[in-house]
Amino acid sequence: MRGFLNKQAPYIFIAPTLILLTLFSIVPILVALVISFTDMDLSGLANFDSISFIGFTNYTEVLADPVFLKAIFNTLFYVIIGVPLVILLSLSIALLINLGTSRIFKAFRVVYYLPSVTNIVAVAVVWSYLYNPSLGLFNYLLNLVGLPDVPWLTEPTIAKLSLILLALWKSIGLNMIIFIAALQGIPKSYYEAAQLDGANLWQQVTKVTIPMLRFAIFFVSITTMIGWLQFFEEPFVMTEGGPLDGTLSVALFIYQNGFKFNNFGYAAAGSFVLFVCIIAITLVQLRMQKNESDMT
Amino acid sequence: MKKNIKVMTAILLSVGLLAGCGTNNNTSGGTDTGNGTSNEKVTLNVWGMGEEAKTLPKLADEFTKENPNITVKVQALPWNQGHEKMLTAVASKKGPDVIQMGTSWIPEFAEAGVLTDLTPYLEQYPELKPENFYPGAVESAKYGDKYVGSPWYVETRVLYYRTDLLKEAGFNAAPATWDELSDAAKKLAARGDGKYGISIDPKEQSLGFMFSRQNGAQWFTEDGKPNFSDPKFVEAVEYLNSFFQNGSAPKDLGLDIIPAFKEGILPMFISGPWMIKLIQDQAPEIDGKWAMAVLPKKENNISLLGGSNLSIFEYSKNKDAAAKFIAYMSKPETQIKWMEETSSLPAATAAWENDMLKNDPNYKVIGDQLNAAQPMPVITEWSPISENYLKHFEVIYRNNVDVKKEMESFNNDATKMMK
Repeated sequence: MRGFLNKQAPYIFIAPTLILLTLFSIVPILVALVISFTDMDLSGLANFDSISFIGFTNYTEVLADPVFLKAIFNTLFYVIIGVPLVILLSLSIALLINLGTSRIFKAFRVVYYLPSVTNIVAVAVVWSYLYNPSLGLFNYLLNLVGLPDVPWLTEPTIAKLSLILLALWKSIGLNMIIFIAALQGIPKSYYEAAQLDGANLWQQVTKVTIPMLRFAIFFVSITTMIGWLQFFEEPFVMTEGGPLDGTLSVALFIYQNGFKFNNFGYAAAGSFVLFVCIIAITLVQLRMQKNESDMT
Repeated sequence: MKKNIKVMTAILLSVGLLAGCGTNNNTSGGTDTGNGTSNEKVTLNVWGMGEEAKTLPKLADEFTKENPNITVKVQALPWNQGHEKMLTAVASKKGPDVIQMGTSWIPEFAEAGVLTDLTPYLEQYPELKPENFYPGAVESAKYGDKYVGSPWYVETRVLYYRTDLLKEAGFNAAPATWDELSDAAKKLAARGDGKYGISIDPKEQSLGFMFSRQNGAQWFTEDGKPNFSDPKFVEAVEYLNSFFQNGSAPKDLGLDIIPAFKEGILPMFISGPWMIKLIQDQAPEIDGKWAMAVLPKKENNISLLGGSNLSIFEYSKNKDAAAKFIAYMSKPETQIKWMEETSSLPAATAAWENDMLKNDPNYKVIGDQLNAAQPMPVITEWSPISENYLKHFEVIYRNNVDVKKEMESFNNDATKMMK
């Protein structure tokens, strides 16, 4: 019996995860894949007989849809500007907080982390007021120093930047915690050795800290990249993709087509395009990381 | 043997998991069988939408008093989540017994066949008969030859305006024609910086269609093709766009309509009857300084007829009790009570004989406008078409592009959707 338990124990431990993963991730992904080849709409949902397979039509149509292409452009815009900023800012804040010895720095850890745990709807209410064209605090402050109003959410490009600012504010906290945890895992002896060799603070940071954080940086960049490719909440609650589809992301495009217009097949095709992009980008990142670790 | 044990472990775990998922379903109680006429206990699940649904339990309690064997459970859903909830209900074929349907939702859900045809219930419950209601409201509840919803309340769009500010601008009465409306808006906007003439809500799907209908545009050709690049349609959109281009309507104000109306920033707007109560509650300071009027006229002044219907979900097991509940809600007395609670307007014409509706000047305006109000077309493609219109209109008012060209592109999109 004991032998049996020893052998079976691992399966029992991973079974809940495996079952949950299969039921709620793998099966739905496969179902979505099937749906993406059909013309499923609301009547199809009620009565499966009225669904018919239409091959790659959804894919060819979605890839030619100017709104979808615009959504891809917007998403890339978010990723290319947002992801490096998130990594840079959360890393620098983590370093600064870690350097400080006073108690106040512990309080700042909480301050920076708070936005990450705040409900997005509450965030949206507050930020809508900050960005409001008539009552907004930002425009009020600009006017105080004699600058003109900025169309925060009403001009397509600026609206994208405004949403990036909001998302930055929201996502720095979590990554900062990851970096702080990694920072505290670096043995003190490395710094002592560096100090004996006469390294100054900057040299310690660039030659000891950053290389030792390589895996943390890699982890944060992959998760942030995936998260930002699925950029959804911010435009959903703040702008609904407007003005002129200027803030529409791919994830929001999928949502609107699926749940607003009932084009489930079309939305599923769009989500598979996004899925493939995310997998491809992640694989490239993994490969780059592998090359890097081979070199050192 | 070992393999068997592995399989068994997996099965046991999955069963436990599924059981965990399943418990919730059993408590919803909507699966009791039986119908309202017998003495069996029945629980009706009713999905109401929006703010008003929170008042619905009051009426439901009175219904239960008359029918002790039927308990009613009301779930109030916000309008913007209702659609998604309905999709889930359709997919799982499990959901409410009675649903409040916005008239614009009827075509898609009726097409999917999830709304019960009420025709068989008309004999037993004469309150549901179509002739009791405004014809426009009945039209919006008919899909093909099926009668899939019973009109519950109606709404139509009218003009709200600040009498004091219009008087200052030289208007003793509400603008009665398109030209007067445009003229009044321009004069009001000329009061100074940060003041406007009228609010044209660019997120309101029906506005462009409503104005084009007033201009005599036919939305569809005789063989049923979209006709949105028709000169009359283009002219109406140009008219709406002119408010934005000459500065009498703000593009992005960021203020709610009621504070803006109170401060006189937006002294005119077009909206439905629910605004009466909101203005009275939130802006008592301007009591007596505002009024309502029927829409200004071009070739006609036909407004939008909207509202909500009550439908029976096809997968309901208590259809008879559900019909009884809807019949109760359709009685003129109940409709008047409902109006007193929520200021929604009765869809039953008999309820309009009530003194309150006859004598109140605000309700009188709405009553007048209801005589010139028609619903939007009851076709499944209408909802995507009107969403698409908003996108094209946004390009027009923001970038001030050529209206004719943009409407041609809209017409192409609509033609594709109608296929």
